Amino acid sequence: MAASIRPSGVFDTQYTQDIALNRTRGEKRQMWLAFGLLLLVPLLTIEGPIGAWLNSIQIGALPTLWVGLISRIAIYAIAVQGLNMLMGYTGQISLGHAAFMGIGAYSAAVMARELGLPFWVAVPLAALFTGVIGLLFGIPSLRVKGFYLAMATLAAQFIIPWVLRYPLEPLTNGSRPLEVPAPLIEFSSYSDYSASVTNGTPSSYIFQRNPSFLSDVVRVTTVSSGAAPRVSVSTRSGQTLLTTPLTDGQDNVIGLQFIASGEDIYIITAEPAADTLYRLDVRVNQAVNFSQQNAMYYIIVPVSVLMFLVARNIIRSRVGRAFISIRDNDLAAELLGINVFSYKLQAFFLSSLYAGLAGALWAFDTGTLSIDKFTLTLSIEFLAMLVIGGAGFPLGAVMGVTFISLLSQYLIPALLPVLNSFLPALLPFINAVNLQAALSPTLFGLAIALFLIIEPRGLAYRWEILKIAWKIRPYAY
Amino acid sequence: MTALTNFYTGYKRELRWLLIVGGLVLALLLLQPLLVDKKVSRMMMTTVTGLLVGGVYALIALGIVIINKASGVFNFAHGLMMLFGAMLFYSFFSVAQVNPLAAGALVLATALMVLTMGGRDSLRNPRNLALAAVAVVVLTALLSVQISGFQLIRAVIGGLVGAVLIGLCVERFAIRPLIGQPLFASVLMTLAVSEIMLGLTQMTWGSVEIPLQIFAGLNSLGIPTPIRFEDVIDGNITIRTELVITFILALVAFGAFVAFFRYTSVGLAMRATAENQELARSVGLRVRFILAIAWGIAALLAMVGGVLQGGATSLSLNMPALALRAFPAVLLGGLESIGGALVGGLIIGLVQEWANFLFPGTQAGTELAPYVVLMLVLVVRPDGLFGEKRIERI
Amino acid sequence: MRKIALALALTLLLSITLLPARAQLPDFIQHTDCEVDLTGETITIYHFGDISGSFAFITQPLLAGLADAIAFYNANGGICGATIATDNRDTGGDPAQTQAHYDYYSTLDPKPDVMVLYASADAELLRTQVEEDQIPVIISAGSVEGLYGEDGRTPGWIYATNPLYGDQIGSFCDFVAADPMDMYADEPVIGYISWPGAFGQAAFTPETIAYCAEQGVTILETPEIFLPTDTDISGQVLNLTDAGANILYTNTLASGPFLVAKTVVDLGLEDDVRLAGVNWALDTSVGLLSRTSIGSDGLPAVNGIVGSLPFQWWSEVNQPGVQFITEQADANARELPTRNIAYILGFTLVDFYTELYIQTVNRVGSLDAVDGAAIKETMDNIDYSPLGMYNISFAGGELRAVTENRIAMMGFANADMSGLATSGDDALKIPRDDGTNIYVPVLVPLTDFAPAPDLRPGGE
Repeated sequence: MAASIRPSGVFDTQYTQDIALNRTRGEKRQMWLAFGLLLLVPLLTIEGPIGAWLNSIQIGALPTLWVGLISRIAIYAIAVQGLNMLMGYTGQISLGHAAFMGIGAYSAAVMARELGLPFWVAVPLAALFTGVIGLLFGIPSLRVKGFYLAMATLAAQFIIPWVLRYPLEPLTNGSRPLEVPAPLIEFSSYSDYSASVTNGTPSSYIFQRNPSFLSDVVRVTTVSSGAAPRVSVSTRSGQTLLTTPLTDGQDNVIGLQFIASGEDIYIITAEPAADTLYRLDVRVNQAVNFSQQNAMYYIIVPVSVLMFLVARNIIRSRVGRAFISIRDNDLAAELLGINVFSYKLQAFFLSSLYAGLAGALWAFDTGTLSIDKFTLTLSIEFLAMLVIGGAGFPLGAVMGVTFISLLSQYLIPALLPVLNSFLPALLPFINAVNLQAALSPTLFGLAIALFLIIEPRGLAYRWEILKIAWKIRPYAY
Repeated sequence: MTALTNFYTGYKRELRWLLIVGGLVLALLLLQPLLVDKKVSRMMMTTVTGLLVGGVYALIALGIVIINKASGVFNFAHGLMMLFGAMLFYSFFSVAQVNPLAAGALVLATALMVLTMGGRDSLRNPRNLALAAVAVVVLTALLSVQISGFQLIRAVIGGLVGAVLIGLCVERFAIRPLIGQPLFASVLMTLAVSEIMLGLTQMTWGSVEIPLQIFAGLNSLGIPTPIRFEDVIDGNITIRTELVITFILALVAFGAFVAFFRYTSVGLAMRATAENQELARSVGLRVRFILAIAWGIAALLAMVGGVLQGGATSLSLNMPALALRAFPAVLLGGLESIGGALVGGLIIGLVQEWANFLFPGTQAGTELAPYVVLMLVLVVRPDGLFGEKRIERI
Repeated sequence: MRKIALALALTLLLSITLLPARAQLPDFIQHTDCEVDLTGETITIYHFGDISGSFAFITQPLLAGLADAIAFYNANGGICGATIATDNRDTGGDPAQTQAHYDYYSTLDPKPDVMVLYASADAELLRTQVEEDQIPVIISAGSVEGLYGEDGRTPGWIYATNPLYGDQIGSFCDFVAADPMDMYADEPVIGYISWPGAFGQAAFTPETIAYCAEQGVTILETPEIFLPTDTDISGQVLNLTDAGANILYTNTLASGPFLVAKTVVDLGLEDDVRLAGVNWALDTSVGLLSRTSIGSDGLPAVNGIVGSLPFQWWSEVNQPGVQFITEQADANARELPTRNIAYILGFTLVDFYTELYIQTVNRVGSLDAVDGAAIKETMDNIDYSPLGMYNISFAGGELRAVTENRIAMMGFANADMSGLATSGDDALKIPRDDGTNIYVPVLVPLTDFAPAPDLRPGGE
């Protein structure tokens, strides 16, 4: 669309230029600038160094809320980008996208908890795993399409959370929340200690932490003849920071927050049960802890941008063109020699992979998972975001997510007092207390309906038109 | 991946049979140990309750089928149409004195929607206007009258008027503007409609469940609640009377609508439109008008289903989930088949109750079993039991 | 008509509790003396929870209690002169909303010193986040996971003013084992029937099952689950009774216990099964819902439900705190449904806030110096009984939930309000428009306050 309107003097002389993502240096620069600004956001809040300084000289800082908000938008944008692949390009409706996000989140958490994988391994593995599960539910697409496929994904939306909740309860904690280990990148182990002790004698290990911005991770492993010992961490002055029971044979990670709290010498003490023979291994690793402050932002936002670029790239490739041909007319695509089933499965795989990646990032970002998050409501929300943003445009996913997030974060709280001031008086059957909860589905539904009727191609399409209008200004055509 | 596809296309038939036989054997093997220590009386009770619960599912499935037949839209808003209609019914039922202004506004809005159903021309017809005016006055008077014991009738009238209004509004403002757009637009639109209606319901009635006391007087009529059979084989069988009455009323409603399709001229026109819209238009049927009527009828069905379900249990925001479980019933019966809706509904009811019975403590009946059935139908027989075989395969 | 009926119920209830109204902070409320004058300042109670969803029966009275208490305390000097304000947000029971609201509150400038939450699920969701942001949270009652983490031994920043749900079922098992009123079968078997999720499943843990087994009370291995929006649970109830349950324990509130009781009556199992539940099950909301289902004795289905009552109740009229709260509810013309558990908790919460802030400000010197860590320190060491209704102490920071508990039973007032009705004939009935009657629920304590057993995982 906008591609056909270019600044004068820019011509394609080679085919590669024609399919290039960014045609001019200006476009490239704009992109890097936007990315750079995005990365600056946490630094500009009051918790960041620049923001604190700006605030001290009375200029003011960005609201801290923005960091969390942008992180969430970035995560959802990945998920919706996946949905875009399936719905926007391949034309298959999915009502179960949230469930796939749930698979990603839970598989990442389980891999980190049960297998002890670090998060940078668990996240891509979880995404791949979700992709494979997505293939499984994509198989009905071989027999049916359109509405029937929507039904298959609806079934997935109910079956997947049920499986996570009941049969997999030992792994997922079922209805209870699942704590996700902190996202860490561990470096050298700068101290090792191991001791074999008998007859219930306590043993202590003192260590001095290196003064650095890194956190320290204390990993304690025990093997004991009876009940595993309890371990406590205390400071030099004798103040006990925490006491925790251990599980034998497991890598017990303790004391992240405490160690980061600024003291320099810590004492780790194991207190065994009476007459127990045990062996204690303590390792202290230096690590970057991404759950601290806004560090996770610097994982999520670049990954989201990367996935956006990947999606944009796929679309201009052979695979992407096959997707679009299936959407536009599957029978014609088949006649042209495109293996429709195979490409449909690929679309399912990619879309679930994106959802899984979003879920895995979500898991490590929030630190606590609950199955109630990944319900049909969220799936519908994803669909709405896509339609509002513009299905079939790479930018559509980002725009839709941003629109809906801003709607619920800013518009609803702003609208509430206004509506509260006159609506209950005007329509006496409306209860002011109920208004707050009711406003979000109402506005949400209205937004979808209005976009479907007035601008079914979404915000991204509008944006393209605006861009063209800007470029050809002052002429109308 | 290509090899996989080729393998599949080569051995389609064999694979399918393998799947069916394997599935049956697996199911029997899995269920056998579960059944060993169960009481026979509980099994009988589960079966009866399942069938009774299935009555409401059949009614819901019928509403979805009607919309689909007439306009090719899959109505995900059916659950909220049920709830909204039932809530309106509840309001007219429980309030001692209806505000005549509110009643008048409701009736007037409905009359306007009905008049303009096929276009704005009928507003110029003085006969139509006069009829509408009389209807508005009579209905408003009926709704605002305050006689004790009249509440139920008032609620029925209010509910019917409200349901028609909902159905026509949804058709006019949400579905009609989408003509010519792809399938997912209409799916999304019904989802959007259900979100809006959810918001309006919460705004007006809150999110708290409301008991609907339409069966409160059963005991005084001498009808036992619940119906109990002592010592059948190895235990008691208890059937909730509300469920029995709901089931009977649901079947009556079902029968009435089927008769309407078969024997009235509007019903015939609807069937013709469903067969082929172009053809129907060419023989002079007013397709717009027919579509509006279909939505009105579906909304009525939804309201009846909502009131019956609410009376048997209570009115809660759970109703949309109930309607979602009717989708497996629709697909199982076949998308275009009215008889299929009945059979499908009863089967889903049975499956739900049996799953709850066999897998205690897992919500298997409401959260899992209907959707497993849905998945099976899609893989094994996408056209359903009685559906027309016209799915395009690729 | 309905309003008149409720007003009538009210006046009847009042006839036993009416006392001369007092304008000042009553003498029995003993706050620490203010060392710093906070006149002109504002202290905000930040509260967010499910105000319109399935918790509404509880949360709306909570808001009423908060509002009445704040009005009263502000009129009587506030917190050392500081005005108390509230900032409420509704989640509608949606975890995504919880997160959004938390983000809003936690990034306010200045950050809230302390927040009030309602749902266990919210507490569990936010547990690590409030710890990171150093914002202590007060919650009415909680699950082990929310308060102590997965291992049950890591106290977080969330404090509960009622005993842990797991500990509550423990004290119930103690009661069943002792069986002072001879109401239980010789071999008591508990069937656990509850909502899914953090709150509903909080009392069903390996530790509670083991503890009750030690007391000779079996808890069936397979619990039954129903949704807050479910409407027919006869299958679930029958599954439990078929498995031998003669007590049904439910960790639900408002419509939850009502639905269990109604199903038991519908199935004609009243004589075979006793009902029990968490502290929320013994509430006006449950009693009032139950008028729609009447048992064979003519009383609402929940008649006789037994559960925890870890604070004073409206009917304990000789307690000064109860008298005071009743006066306040009268003065604000609160109707019967509002006079429930949550009104008490909302009202006492404001009193607790006052004490919490006085102590903290006294220690740190000014309101500006108060932050989350300072509040937490006060909280760890506080020993205070708001309005004398229940005692709040976290054992020097070792505990995160109050442990004092007692067992009580719900009955219904008889016609002359002198005691419990024994059947429908002598019960107080207030007719309503739709032909049904309102029965007035009354709670009767069956035991004295005693520490509940500690049933966290990992204990010895």
